[in-house]
Amino acid sequence: MADPVDDTYTESQVIMTAVKIIAPFTLTYGLFMTFHGADTPGGSFQGGAIIGVTILMLAFAFGIEPTRQWLKNSVLVGLVAGGVAVFVGVGLAAIALGGNFLQYDRFETVLGIPDGTKWGMEAIEIGGIALIVAGVVVTLFFATAAGFPPKLREHNGHSRRNGPSDGSGGVATDAGPDSVDGGDD
Amino acid sequence: MTFAVAYTLAFFVIITAVATAMFRDVLSAIVVFGAYSLGMAIIYTFLLAPDVAMTEAAIGAGVTTILLLLTIARTTRPTSDRTFERVNLPAVAVVGGFLVVALVGILPEMYEIGDPGAPVWDNAQVTQYYLHNTYSDTGVQNAVTAVLAAYRGFDTFGEAVVVFAAGISVLIVLKREVFA
Repeated sequence: MADPVDDTYTESQVIMTAVKIIAPFTLTYGLFMTFHGADTPGGSFQGGAIIGVTILMLAFAFGIEPTRQWLKNSVLVGLVAGGVAVFVGVGLAAIALGGNFLQYDRFETVLGIPDGTKWGMEAIEIGGIALIVAGVVVTLFFATAAGFPPKLREHNGHSRRNGPSDGSGGVATDAGPDSVDGGDD
Repeated sequence: MTFAVAYTLAFFVIITAVATAMFRDVLSAIVVFGAYSLGMAIIYTFLLAPDVAMTEAAIGAGVTTILLLLTIARTTRPTSDRTFERVNLPAVAVVGGFLVVALVGILPEMYEIGDPGAPVWDNAQVTQYYLHNTYSDTGVQNAVTAVLAAYRGFDTFGEAVVVFAAGISVLIVLKREVFA
């Protein structure tokens, strides 16, 4: 298992150059898919995933640790929680205007917004789902990259020496049948 | 022409699916699994489901592959002399027999792609209702988006919260308090 320093990163001129060229296009494509998903194939889920993958590409090319320092935890939590808040907010606003949860046509009939249903949908797509998906993709990546805190791992190793502690437990059980196989062969 | 493309794609997807199960090396399995997702995305495009294809390409081929690669970079990679798993012949016989029975039973009953008489298409109460009324009801042209965000918005709200909960669950499993 890895220590806390970033040992998964290998600087590669090819990957860095390729990502530098590709990243603006994937980001634009993700934003296009998010903003134009109501009228063309795509939508905020796919668009948000592609925006998130752009960050993952940058992290692969330029190192996970620098990217992690650039995107602070508060930004990521703000994206994900903010997306949920926008979604809930639009739904509750419809209730406040005398409708049901997410009944967009209240924006049109009560507030007088033209195409209220369309803009209500765009709000939850762009301000809600896209932020949630993009944020969660990046946070899953960072959380997986960080792994267990070293202290916790040590503690587990001491308290349950024979039991499977972390990732190595799975490897150990994998090795069991493997060696048996070798004997059979 | 399209016939040949469809069969080539189906063959490619089946080959990569079997290879994913057969490869003993984890890295090889992940790379072949990415190719499988890409093949599935093209098949969805071929079946006129571009929204599903984009999801498969972005999530299946993109995010999943990167997360799996990151996982093997963070864990120990078991080494083995063999390239492929040993084939368990009884299991292959059982699964193969089941597959043959299922295909023989199901395939002749399926409608042609794009058959206007297929129940999923020739259905005035459901499919045709959405296709005819989406624009006048919601003001957006993509019926898939309209169904997800407007007609079944509450359902999508639940899905969005599930995605949010997945992020939180990873923190709980990894016993961490911050993402970054």
